[in-house]
Amino acid sequence: MIIRLVSAALVAGFLAAVVATGLQFALTSPLILKAEVFEAQAGKQASLSSPFAHLIVPAHGDAHGHGEGGAAEAWQPAPGLERMAYTGLATLVGGVGYALLLGAVMLALKRVPSPETGLAFGLAGFLTVALAPAMGLPPELPGMASAELGVRQAWWVMTVAATGLGLYLIAVRRVPLTIAGGLVLIVAPHLAGAPLVVDSDSKLPAALAAQFAARSLGISLVFWAVIGLAYGWAWNLFADKAVSGGRSHA
Amino acid sequence: MSTTTATVQTAAAASESTRAIVIAALLGLGLVFMTGFAPAMALHNAAHDFRHTQNFPCH
Repeated sequence: MIIRLVSAALVAGFLAAVVATGLQFALTSPLILKAEVFEAQAGKQASLSSPFAHLIVPAHGDAHGHGEGGAAEAWQPAPGLERMAYTGLATLVGGVGYALLLGAVMLALKRVPSPETGLAFGLAGFLTVALAPAMGLPPELPGMASAELGVRQAWWVMTVAATGLGLYLIAVRRVPLTIAGGLVLIVAPHLAGAPLVVDSDSKLPAALAAQFAARSLGISLVFWAVIGLAYGWAWNLFADKAVSGGRSHA
Repeated sequence: MSTTTATVQTAAAASESTRAIVIAALLGLGLVFMTGFAPAMALHNAAHDFRHTQNFPCH
């Protein structure tokens, strides 16, 4: 069974990565490159006069060698083809990872994968992993001011966990008490408040950031939809090779 | 007799799916962590554009 699950996840992750990588190259990578121009300018003018200087990570300088940090020599892919290749590779690895999680959840909930059920779980994945955290911490271009990385990651993980559990209580358990509990879980991280930094002296045009956020969510939606559809399709593709098709979801 | 066999088979199938769920979940979490969260600079830089587009907190 694990062979069948991993095979289906590999196929789904690959197909989703092909689609999402194409969309990234067409829609978001050009915006990231534009933003990095502003980021480089901001990096030169970086001042420590802001009272939030210790909270704000200035223009993600360390990562790209514009900053004064010691990590400036860290390896990074060369611009152009090499960078695109690594973006595609990361999308592939991330897509397979998401597909494995989707498969594990479907199996744990004893749902027989088909393109329809796969799509439903894919959309739930989008709501959980992409939309819910984005409501608090919108997709961000390089160079935008933001709170400390650890704080944002903690809020992200907490929001994803709470939303996933909330959706499970609402959609799977489906009795009034669990629905109420699920709604509380989904709303709670947003009431607690995301660690969003609004103040910024970045010269990055707001329209660019807004367009990036919308495109990023659109790509996530397609990514998850393809993962779900393809997982359901591929699961049945590998049916004959499974140890015995009859007890696939005993 | 046949009831016992069926019970044993069901139990075996259940433990097989539990194992599959655990392995797939851990493997999936590991891959997502590697692309979305791993702090190593080289991994961060390689996955940079993917992290931004998929809205993982970056930098």
